[in-house]
Amino acid sequence: MKTVYQMQGYTLHLIPTKKFKTMTISLRLQSPLLKETTTLRTLLTFVLIAATKKYPSTKLLASYLDENYGARLSTNVATKGESQVINLYTSFVNDVYLPHQEHLLEKQLQLLSDLFFDPFVENDAFDQTIVELKKKELKERLQVNKDDKFSYSLDKLFEHMGRNQTLGIPSTGYEDKIDEIDGKMLYQYFLKCIKEDEKHIYVVGDVDETIVDVFQQYLKFPENHQDYPSAYTFKSQHPDVLEIIEKQDITQSKLNLGYQIDCDFISEQHYAFTVFNAIFGGFSQSRLFKVVREENSLCYYVSSSYDAFNGIMIVNAGIEAKDYHKTMDLIQQELKAIQDGQIEKRDIDVAKMMLENSLRKTSDEAGSMIALTYNRDITHKVESNDEYIEKLLNVSQEDIIKVAKQVRLDTIFFLTGKDFDENN
Amino acid sequence: MKTINYQTLQETLYFEEMDNGLKVYLLPKKGFSKTYGLFSTCFGSIDTTFVPIGENEMLKVPDGIAHFLEHKMFEMEDGDASDGFARLGASTNAFTSSSRTAYLFSTTTHEDECIELLLDFVQDIYLTEENVEKEKGIINQEIGMYDDDPDWRCYFGSIQNLYQNHPVKIDIAGTVDTVREIDKDTLEKCYHTFYHPSNMMLFVVGNIDPQKTMTLIRENQAKKHFEKENQIQRENVDEPQDVDQDELILNMDVVMPKLIVSMKINDILTEPSQKLKRELSMNLLLDLLFAKSSKLYEDWMRQGFINDSFSANFTQERNYSFLQIGGDTQEPEKLRDKIYELIESIDSFEIDEADFQRVQKKNIGILIGVFNSPESIANMFSRYYFEGIMIFDLIDCLASLSLDDVNQLKSLFDKKYLSTCMIKPKENGQ
Repeated sequence: MKTVYQMQGYTLHLIPTKKFKTMTISLRLQSPLLKETTTLRTLLTFVLIAATKKYPSTKLLASYLDENYGARLSTNVATKGESQVINLYTSFVNDVYLPHQEHLLEKQLQLLSDLFFDPFVENDAFDQTIVELKKKELKERLQVNKDDKFSYSLDKLFEHMGRNQTLGIPSTGYEDKIDEIDGKMLYQYFLKCIKEDEKHIYVVGDVDETIVDVFQQYLKFPENHQDYPSAYTFKSQHPDVLEIIEKQDITQSKLNLGYQIDCDFISEQHYAFTVFNAIFGGFSQSRLFKVVREENSLCYYVSSSYDAFNGIMIVNAGIEAKDYHKTMDLIQQELKAIQDGQIEKRDIDVAKMMLENSLRKTSDEAGSMIALTYNRDITHKVESNDEYIEKLLNVSQEDIIKVAKQVRLDTIFFLTGKDFDENN
Repeated sequence: MKTINYQTLQETLYFEEMDNGLKVYLLPKKGFSKTYGLFSTCFGSIDTTFVPIGENEMLKVPDGIAHFLEHKMFEMEDGDASDGFARLGASTNAFTSSSRTAYLFSTTTHEDECIELLLDFVQDIYLTEENVEKEKGIINQEIGMYDDDPDWRCYFGSIQNLYQNHPVKIDIAGTVDTVREIDKDTLEKCYHTFYHPSNMMLFVVGNIDPQKTMTLIRENQAKKHFEKENQIQRENVDEPQDVDQDELILNMDVVMPKLIVSMKINDILTEPSQKLKRELSMNLLLDLLFAKSSKLYEDWMRQGFINDSFSANFTQERNYSFLQIGGDTQEPEKLRDKIYELIESIDSFEIDEADFQRVQKKNIGILIGVFNSPESIANMFSRYYFEGIMIFDLIDCLASLSLDDVNQLKSLFDKKYLSTCMIKPKENGQ
């Protein structure tokens, strides 16, 4: 069965499967990640699903979703390297599990269409009350994010490491830019998105080709053939390692390290780096977990992650302030050991198996299936899961050592307690 | 082996009780790549005073011991169970709640070996004085992580406020001081008492053949020897009706204040079907009162003292029950007063039939969705199982509820048993 269809203004991707009791639809809108629009775009994700002309308040729209057996409707915004992506997500029960035929698919598609083409708008502006409420909500959300010390310290790492670059632009916008936005401005930006964003729609569930006609009937966007860049390799703009220490009144210190790696999602070395990261800190069998947590009891969590769309690696750990230098030394030692070729074949095999296992699992979860396919679609990578696994399995010890040698510490962000002494 | 068919959900469940008392449930999931095994014991952070197996006297153990034991179970004489799973290409984890400890694996390959490894590592214990001491540093960092988490502090503070004696008021991980007291001997006593097969349940869901899998488990269990099963005696908790304190204000290094109003429910049900009915009816009532589709949510939102973090939750466990209502707010005092007023005047809250049916449909749809995910099924199964409830009955029970069932619950609301927990930003110099 054909699974990819070029529709009017978007690409439709079908992922047919009978194993789920629900249907999932994800509409993804991609545009370049820019300082000037990141706040608008984030606020749009709040306002977009707050109301339609037919259901002109959160209460009425939520009641309608309740009636449709708790159909979900949500949005989020995330970066994909140089792009910023709005994900509009809906899932609802497959009619066969309900007492009566409810035609939930048609109802949800009509709703999606209304969100874009019959929104709650007057005089070319989103409803002022809703916009003001959502501005407040976004502002409070950004404040609460700061209170989560884990994500706050990670955001600060990106801010410092990516100063004046794409990496430094927050996917969720700037708190101090929210007040400048009004309903008219946001609606103008929304119209621009409808026209210019690159759009993909994914459907996961018990579907066949006939659904293409249903989409044809309910959803049409203006023709566009945009192809925005996403994955890239981060290049540092400072010659030395940048070390930032911030003090707050907290119990546990958060250590965040950002590394340059000279590789990203579309590089040949992507597969070797994926295996390297799994050996270094990607899983609880990895070196960092074994050494920093199990052998030295310094932390509860420590891990590395490969951000393939920004072409960087991150390490984070929650430690006691006094263990800052000791933890840094251990992390650097483990990296050096791999660079020097101290890797057991057994560790490579385990890492590959863990990667294969986590990839196979994605096919049991609609959201993960979509995320995986989407990454390939926006980078024009033609690759099946089996081909991907094949490439991982072919990574050699030499390949791993080679990418390990490309890893260079770039920025340290250490969030610590008030009594931390830098000279201890 | 017993087979149970569930028509509405189109699922078939297989069950067998092993000779040693272990209960095994299997749920094959067609088309899934993943297999998920969850091995649970009815031993959680509230089990702090009990008669150890083979003894006669009640023993009070240090707070946080169930969680500590969970950490140490992975250590085996010939290495770490996590490494064993990794060599099979699988991943593993564990968690401790107030009333349960559960160990799990998740895999897409070597399912049989994973099931055996899960049984083997949990059904054996390997402790040394040294490996017990070493774990304390890790657990203290875990405690430290929660200390800085304002959501957790507010959530947990609002529970602590309610109880004078009940051990639900102790933190699951204990405190740095109680963790220090934990030793090898006490851990072993807990282990032998609560990890007896008759106190445990294995649930495996995913890409499995039920006949073959059950045979494998049966043979694995037949090889092992356990002490004779005995009825575990836990100390009865003597908990007065009144709350422990009316208000707790925590000052933290945060920007956004938080508030949770909690209400202690003293009318504790024991009969499983009654408990289930209450829980599902209460969820409907809370949706009618507080969900996004409610009038009150819209009013409060427009007045600006709640945002989309606002929610209401009902908890009903082995021998305690409470409500929690709240979220992030710029005006915690105002939100508190509004919630108190509402609870005081709950009798005048009128529900019409159409609204009732709407939230009923919503809850049915959400429950059906749970059966998409092997993890969610297993975790939910285990949570309800020890309360005597089969999760496959939830949807039918929900569909059978009436508006009367919901209205009756209003009598549980009592201003006398309310308490407030607030997180406030530290002022300069504090």
